[in-house]
Amino acid sequence: MARVPRSDVLLAIMGAPHASDLVTSALRLIEALLDHGGRVQVWTCGYATLLTQASLGDRKPRNLVAWSHEYPSTAAVVRDLLESAQGRLAWYSCRFCGEERGVTGHIPQVTVRPPLKFGEHVAAANKTIFMGVI
Amino acid sequence: MRGEPASRGPAGPGGAEGGAAMSAYLLVETQGPWEGPGCARFLADAVDLARDGDQVCVALLQDGVTAAVGRPLLEVEELVVLGAQVWVDRFSVAQRALLRAPLPVGAELVEMDKIAARLLDPEVRVVWH
Repeated sequence: MARVPRSDVLLAIMGAPHASDLVTSALRLIEALLDHGGRVQVWTCGYATLLTQASLGDRKPRNLVAWSHEYPSTAAVVRDLLESAQGRLAWYSCRFCGEERGVTGHIPQVTVRPPLKFGEHVAAANKTIFMGVI
Repeated sequence: MRGEPASRGPAGPGGAEGGAAMSAYLLVETQGPWEGPGCARFLADAVDLARDGDQVCVALLQDGVTAAVGRPLLEVEELVVLGAQVWVDRFSVAQRALLRAPLPVGAELVEMDKIAARLLDPEVRVVWH
């Protein structure tokens, strides 16, 4: 893999997406950081690796009480964020955590990395913030 | 971390007035008081930092907003008295249908935009809890 690009912030999302509204906060924060011109890396561990599974597709299952409304999957939200960030956002996912949880494939915009490379990402960031616990 | 108030002066982040340089902190609390003692303990650490003369901004997100809205934790009131900033995430408050609940004097409803700007300040140390 090419050298990890410099970033202002590395967000290490450790918490499980189903445990709280952590992912909502993380996505809101990423968007706000990008709006301020920040360069952001995201590294997902644990169950957060499921956020960018290719098998999620573009949409969530239909909402029975809002049948005609479409809700994007987290994979689609992350893909759209990456495409609109003009190279200022990079998304990485921990191979060990993903494989342990059956994540067999991510959307192509996400880079899978072994956990022992995490230090390179910390070194490339001005600040590292751990969000949640595995 | 609790102890006597430090003798450090009112210099800004990185300043050296009165001895050791002050630090600036952005402390983000996402857990609510009923989830255990972690929320109050984290805020107590913020109180200690503010009492020591450091520049402290506490941002309450997710369930963490319940530390301030309605009946605030003692630690939140102490932070305000000490001159620390207490930011309460408007989105998290609205998601919990608490916008009509009272906020302690000195606490401020903010958007994520403001938190992001502070986070990007190279002088500010950030802890997410």
